[in-house]
Amino acid sequence: MTEARPYDDLLKATFPAIVQGDPVCGESSHFQVPKDLLPAITRYLHTQPNLRGRLTLIWACDHRPVRDAYGLHYLFTLEVSHYWVVLSIELSGNERLFPSITPHIHAAKWYEREIRDMFGLIPQGHPDLRRLVRHEHWPKGMHPLRKEFPWDRVLGRQQGEHHFRRIEGEGVFEVPVGPIHAGIIESGHFRFSVAGEPIMQLELHHFWKHRGVEKLFEQQMLIGAVPLAERVSGDTTVGHSLAYCQAVETLLNLQVPRRARYLRSLFLELERLYNHLGDIGAMCNDTAYALAHAHCGRMKERIMQLNDRLTGSRFLRDVLRVGGVTRDIENRQLTDLVDELNRIQPDFSEVGAIIFANASLTDRLETTGILNEQTAWDHAVMGVVGRASGRDCDLRRDRPFAAYDELPVAVALYRYGDVRARLRVRGDEIHESIRLIREILGKIPDGPVANEPSCSPNPGDWTLSAVEGWRGEILYMVMAGEGGRIHRCKVRDPSFVNWPAIQWAALGNIIPDFPLINKSFNLSYAGNDL
Amino acid sequence: MFRIIKKSLKIGVVTGQYRRAEKPALPIIQEAKDKTKLFKRSLAIREVDTGSCNACEMEMNALLNPVYDAERFGIHIAASPRHADALVVTGPVTVNMERALKDVHKQTPDPKIVIALGDCAIDCGMFKNSYAVTGPVERHIPVDIRIPGCPPRPAEILEALSELRKPTV
Ligand code: SF4
Repeated sequence: MTEARPYDDLLKATFPAIVQGDPVCGESSHFQVPKDLLPAITRYLHTQPNLRGRLTLIWACDHRPVRDAYGLHYLFTLEVSHYWVVLSIELSGNERLFPSITPHIHAAKWYEREIRDMFGLIPQGHPDLRRLVRHEHWPKGMHPLRKEFPWDRVLGRQQGEHHFRRIEGEGVFEVPVGPIHAGIIESGHFRFSVAGEPIMQLELHHFWKHRGVEKLFEQQMLIGAVPLAERVSGDTTVGHSLAYCQAVETLLNLQVPRRARYLRSLFLELERLYNHLGDIGAMCNDTAYALAHAHCGRMKERIMQLNDRLTGSRFLRDVLRVGGVTRDIENRQLTDLVDELNRIQPDFSEVGAIIFANASLTDRLETTGILNEQTAWDHAVMGVVGRASGRDCDLRRDRPFAAYDELPVAVALYRYGDVRARLRVRGDEIHESIRLIREILGKIPDGPVANEPSCSPNPGDWTLSAVEGWRGEILYMVMAGEGGRIHRCKVRDPSFVNWPAIQWAALGNIIPDFPLINKSFNLSYAGNDL
Repeated sequence: MFRIIKKSLKIGVVTGQYRRAEKPALPIIQEAKDKTKLFKRSLAIREVDTGSCNACEMEMNALLNPVYDAERFGIHIAASPRHADALVVTGPVTVNMERALKDVHKQTPDPKIVIALGDCAIDCGMFKNSYAVTGPVERHIPVDIRIPGCPPRPAEILEALSELRKPTV
């Protein structure tokens, strides 16, 4: 790879102590950084107006048995050019402390707590060192992603209780909600502090559904872990499996046939379509607008039945594989798809017009749950939620993957950051998805749909891959191990980044509006908890 | 207003527009049927997620859309376990959810039936033996009915539920 690396000279001139590392993937630079320099350089990347580095991912890796060291890696996306910069530090021997960057980059706070829980490495200077993934009943010293920790170990139980941040004063009381909720939704805990009606503080207590996904990846072969990736978050089956497949393909140096790339984009758009339709309906339902809910539920069901007819799975399971897709879509099926789109598009336009013309609905949605642009930037929020708060980012346009280099995407962008803006982003994206699917069907070339892998990667090689799923950026870091196995797989669902932001969006709103705000974010618990 | 009526007339009734499922893959035992008889023709369900990938939940939600409309069979979703006749559990039971599941089970008034929905709930599926998973649902609470699939289609769930409530001859 010989692309220009415009930022290398700038960074090396500013921080002479950093060392250029091996290239990771695509448009990116990689540097080894001395530990004590990390806070300064991350702050530089984050705050320089000509760089505007958004913290995109932090992950750790236990290098044993190859080397007695832990690696910590920080991925920044430079907003000015969507270029990636990876910074790495290494803790060798018995070192367990690393400098926390949370004091000046908020978005790092959950990542660092996660690393502390999973690896037992301690972020020095982190303002909040409570447990995150490990609930308090986990015995001390359990750090599952350390290599010596057996994947099938039986955890014991100890006494312990989670301490929430408390607001004290006259008339302040706490409302606990969850982990089991009233509707059919996933498990998570919310703790509200209220005085009268408005929410003064909301704290999340998640990770109830932690299933040990990243450790399970380490028990799998690179080629064979697609089904697990599909089950990280069921509603994002294609997004997750695509991001995983792309990472493995980079490691194996495998080209994906052009037809397969188009089919991948097609599946990703179908997934976006049914989820957005469902979300719009669910948001209307939370304002007791049952009519819109019924119509959206009906359209969502149509798309899911279409998925079933096309691929044999309502969630598009088992359609992706490393090297391409598992089955071709025949022309007869494509006609079916076009017919269905021809029905759905005017149908949704009519329902959309009814929804947006409804004054009482607008009244509920406007100015509810505002996430302003600054807060969104501070927490590195992206995806649908980010785009509703003026954060202009969409990987399909910014770092094209699958067939998006040949399919220009119009990105929906709103600035108000309220529930209505999030509803509008979804509405626009539905139209855009339908347009994209039509374009895909017009352009899709003939040819094979999968290539077989021929070589195996070197142990220790790693790469990153990113996909714009319907919620937002899905990131996978995959490191190859011995004999075609996985040494480490870091999964990051957009929910992990966007969940903390909901704590800010809810402030000042009343509790009865919270389900609506939550629905408008519609984040995954499974993808967050892993 | 006019627009809404026009739209509704144009769409008509969509209920039942799905492919029927075959007989339930796992037979429903007589004991479960006997237990369900008490609830006559109404069944209040409480859904509990103990670590699913959320696809199973989505299919439970789909049961309530106009196409499947489970309410026409007297099946409704209760907001609290105390109002429920049946618990539907999805997902392998994670270490963090174990207590919550047992609590919910205790809170649900007797008589009650427990339905394990999806492969994860039946035998942990892909998450078997993980350090963070303590076993399938039946390890913690008695399970009456199992609906396999990953995830089971809504039509399959409906089929199993109607089989369960079919009067035995
Ligand atoms: S059975 Fe399948 S669909 Fe259901 S929770 Fe488990 S992995 Fe998800």
